[in-house]
Amino acid sequence: MYKMELGFPLWWISVWLPVIVGLGAWLGEVENKKAIKVVAVLSALTLAIPGIALIVLYAVGAVSQGVLDPWYLHLGNRGIVALAVDGLSAPVVAGVSIVTSIVAVYSIKYMRTRIEEMRREGEKVPGMGAYYFLYNTFSAAMLGLALSTNLVEFYIFLELTLIPSYLLIAYWGYGDRKRISMLYFIWTHIGAVLFLTGILYYGIKTGTFDYMLVPQLKPLGNIEGILGTTAKFVAFLMMLGLMIKMAVFGVHMWLPYAHAEAPTPVSALLSPNLIGLAGYAMARILVPAFPDVIIGWRNYLVFWAFLTIVYGGLVALRQTDFKRFLAYSSVSQMGYLLLGISSMTALGIAGAMLHYLVHAIGKAILFMTAGLFITELHGLRDIRKMGGMAKLYPLTAAAALFGFMNLVGMPPSPGLWSEWLVILGTTKVYSSSYGQLLLISVAFLLALSVSAAYSFVTMRKIFYGQLRSKIEKKEMRSILLITILLVVAIGLIVFFASGPIIGDLKAATYKLMSLGG
Amino acid sequence: MEPFLASLIWLFPYFGAILMAILYISGVKKELPYSITTATSLFIAALLATIVGVHVLESGKPVLDVHHWIPWINVNVSTYIDGLSAIMTMLVSWLSFLIGVYSIEYMKGDWGYPRYFFFFSFFVGSMLLVVSAENLLMLFIGWEGTGLASYALIGHWYTDEEEYWVGVPGRKALGLPMYFEPSHSGLRAIMFTRFGDIGMLIGMAVIYHLTGTLSIRGIASAAGGWSGALAAKGMLTLVLILLTLGAFAKSAQFPFHEWLVTAMTGPTPVSALIHAATMVKAGIYFVLRFAPIIFTGALLSGSHLAILQTREYFLIVAGIGAVTAFILATMALVSNEFKLILAFSTASQIGYMFLAAGAAGAIIAEANKYLFASGIAASLAHLMSHAIFKAALFLISGWALHVAHSRFIDKMGDYAKYMKITAISIWLAGLSLAGIPPLSGFFSKELTLKAAEDAGLTWVYILGAVTAILTAAYTTRLIIRVFHMHPYEPSEHKPHEAPPLMLVPYTILALAALTFGLAWKYMGRVLSRASELTLSLGSPASLAIHLTSHVAMVLGGALSTIGIVAALYLAWHVNFRELIKKSVAARITFNFLFDRWYINSIIYLLFVVGFIGVSYMLWAVDFGIDWFYHIGLVVFAGVASLAIRALHRGRPEYYNAMYLILTALGLLLFVLEWLR
Repeated sequence: MYKMELGFPLWWISVWLPVIVGLGAWLGEVENKKAIKVVAVLSALTLAIPGIALIVLYAVGAVSQGVLDPWYLHLGNRGIVALAVDGLSAPVVAGVSIVTSIVAVYSIKYMRTRIEEMRREGEKVPGMGAYYFLYNTFSAAMLGLALSTNLVEFYIFLELTLIPSYLLIAYWGYGDRKRISMLYFIWTHIGAVLFLTGILYYGIKTGTFDYMLVPQLKPLGNIEGILGTTAKFVAFLMMLGLMIKMAVFGVHMWLPYAHAEAPTPVSALLSPNLIGLAGYAMARILVPAFPDVIIGWRNYLVFWAFLTIVYGGLVALRQTDFKRFLAYSSVSQMGYLLLGISSMTALGIAGAMLHYLVHAIGKAILFMTAGLFITELHGLRDIRKMGGMAKLYPLTAAAALFGFMNLVGMPPSPGLWSEWLVILGTTKVYSSSYGQLLLISVAFLLALSVSAAYSFVTMRKIFYGQLRSKIEKKEMRSILLITILLVVAIGLIVFFASGPIIGDLKAATYKLMSLGG
Repeated sequence: MEPFLASLIWLFPYFGAILMAILYISGVKKELPYSITTATSLFIAALLATIVGVHVLESGKPVLDVHHWIPWINVNVSTYIDGLSAIMTMLVSWLSFLIGVYSIEYMKGDWGYPRYFFFFSFFVGSMLLVVSAENLLMLFIGWEGTGLASYALIGHWYTDEEEYWVGVPGRKALGLPMYFEPSHSGLRAIMFTRFGDIGMLIGMAVIYHLTGTLSIRGIASAAGGWSGALAAKGMLTLVLILLTLGAFAKSAQFPFHEWLVTAMTGPTPVSALIHAATMVKAGIYFVLRFAPIIFTGALLSGSHLAILQTREYFLIVAGIGAVTAFILATMALVSNEFKLILAFSTASQIGYMFLAAGAAGAIIAEANKYLFASGIAASLAHLMSHAIFKAALFLISGWALHVAHSRFIDKMGDYAKYMKITAISIWLAGLSLAGIPPLSGFFSKELTLKAAEDAGLTWVYILGAVTAILTAAYTTRLIIRVFHMHPYEPSEHKPHEAPPLMLVPYTILALAALTFGLAWKYMGRVLSRASELTLSLGSPASLAIHLTSHVAMVLGGALSTIGIVAALYLAWHVNFRELIKKSVAARITFNFLFDRWYINSIIYLLFVVGFIGVSYMLWAVDFGIDWFYHIGLVVFAGVASLAIRALHRGRPEYYNAMYLILTALGLLLFVLEWLR
């Protein structure tokens, strides 16, 4: 194994190119169909760059030691601004790249319909060019977050995800979109500011804002000693900030609004990708920096994770709106990420990071399904009015089933692997006595049953039984369906090709754990 | 022998499924490509299974094929055919092929034809993977695959028309409906089995942490270590229960049997293959696979605690098996749906297999490996004979339902007049179920009871013996009612014999039940050989039946029951329907049994209704949280702002007053402090 430094600034290119494409589309005021298609395909291609690069890098076995972009900048005592990928971030980068690139194509039809609809209703909204600018900036910023090595850089990218996504909701969202976008902005900004306060402590006390050493690409390591008594406080600020971003139980309330009322392609990015990045940040930044503090909180965090899973799942069961249902399901799924991370084991953290990718695939499929119905069936999103859709939309139903299987952890979806890793990680800590094992078993039985229940119950409500409203359309091989099936295919490939992904997660999580605790 | 052949056994049906998926996506609508793909891939799998299986049994050397997949967590694509797997792969693949052929005719013209055969092949691949996997996670993948296929096929007619329901429409027990639509049944199946699978995953994880491997052979060779270590902490029984929780759920053992009952909404060949012959046997296969490992592990650990806890575990297994056998048999007595009777019977008969496996394990106190192997082999023997005769019964029911255009036996009758071959077949299969010599069911059932007798488990034995008599009763009732009596509610459809593609498979199966019984000496040798070649077992088994007083009692009981039931209906013309209308006691008993001991309603009240209640509650909590953040806090901030703004309106007289009050207060404080 060797550490690879790329010969050219691939990661910087993959962050900037989509933005440039978007900028071109916006300034060029792209409106005609052909030009939009060109923009969409260009966006998809540029966003796919890191994903394709990862396939190559996995194939040559370069991911485990980390792949650094040759352009990095020394900022004196603020550390080094660099972009890099390693085993821990690779599934996250892949998740972002896959979903954003495919949804870029999916957006063509969805957003055109949406904009036409809004303009018919007499609203003045920006066109497709502006959409692609915001969409690409949002996507590129998420890539940047996953590729960062330094907290200053990380925070800038964090704010860069927030502003475009806020505007995307405000311009093209549904319902009371002005209020909801503001609500989303304030909530996640509070999270970001709490995190920022933590960052400032971290940077000033340790003398650097790096969390990964460049060019070695190793975690900075345990900083509890340097921070002394304030370590707990700093860790708490950062943790709380990330928890709000992640929308765990108690501070989740913004998510159902934002994710349900955002335009559906944006929901497909917000829900699995953006909130999961908070989980990634916990594993990447907090775990190696504050290992003893987090181990001290482990029981509470594990409890909170189970609470989030069960709460999100059971509240999801009561939703009548397809997208709001999916939003609550995302809350529930974030519980699994938190569970894996808070187990503080290499296996659990690896499971959480893989679950990021799994959830990205599964939830993207489901949001895209919801969007397909909205586009083709005149805004149909009320689950009570669905039922029997499988007969009209057989392939869509099959895809949705696969999406749900990701959430439940059933093969041949890669959800099996992340579920198994999280279970392995958690039981490793909680199986040393009869009482512990019994308790953790009951918790898992409850949590995973709830996940299965809301998934399959909703599958039945939407796709089985008799049609509950008059629908005369039939499944078309539209761009919407084809992009959904593409995500399904990628999910299947990830299931079979998870050997290297999991192998490199091992290397990365061992590094986190050994340097940390 | 090329080891890769062993992996091809389960790969071929998967290939078939993939090919069909591609055909479907590329828009092929015709039926022929799908049926040919299925039949061919299943036939090849069956041939391969036979080649490998016979090779293993003859050469005495298990076949192992390993390919790495995910090294960190020790997941390998590994296939292992030993004695147990050889029998299972051959049984599963040939039954699948026969039932696949039957399906081609049965499903003709169905709107879900491609989907049916896709999941059918997918199921067979998964099932073969379960019975031949060497890696626990591979086994689990197959296991979940069978669950997924079962879910999809139970809900095959997911549009939920009434003709596809199970149960009497409108009937309720404890206020909850006792009729189920296909989509509801599919949901039940996946929820019940998934629950068990979670336990299985946790059990696997605990063992993985102790052994560092998922290889079943590795777990077996380290069995002494983990068994002793867990026993020392008093956790062995719990871990074993968790590990086999999935097996109990999959094999529809009490209290998980409910999903199997309603699984009858699926097309009948599916009920025959998945819900009678194969998938529900996956659970007992898992127990048979692990019982020798657990048994030898406890002995090897040399720990007294391990032996005690292992015995405790096996007693639970035997107890659950016996209870399931009995409860489900009583339900079968009163049911009025052809397939439902068979479903009750299936869960009940699998109870016998658990009973035998549990009883065999309970012998651990005596450390008698030969008796243990005999008990395990008895369970396997019953698995095999049951798979064959129950598949035959289900395939016949498929034709019966088709002819009657109804699932209720009240609308069937006099079939013996119109279909002679079918009548002979059902009597062969039915008497085998009732345990009458010289059919295979007699031998295997007596052997399972013998295992209980050897282990000295009196209550288990008594429940098993009573169940044998109940089995004879409901089987006879079913066959007499459908084949030899006039229908209670005449239908306009005139019965006729089945077409060859359907007739031949079940006739072959019924004859197999007879042949295996006649050639039991030979079958016994094969099974004993298999037992010798099974991982961690390695001992020949005794599968001979001697006419002891116990055997004579059970057999006599069963035979006389058949006579009595036949006489009640045919000679004395007892009308049970009238009886129930007249007598209150009879009606209460009838309702209790017909509503399945109210177990379904109790489970629903506890879990489904309970969770719906909790979810409504949490929904309200969510409103509360929403209100707090987005209204409460906002209103508070608004009011606070109003109050503070009110103080800053630029009115001099107000400021003067404030100035005076504050100065006075300050002076007062100063004076008070000074006075102290």
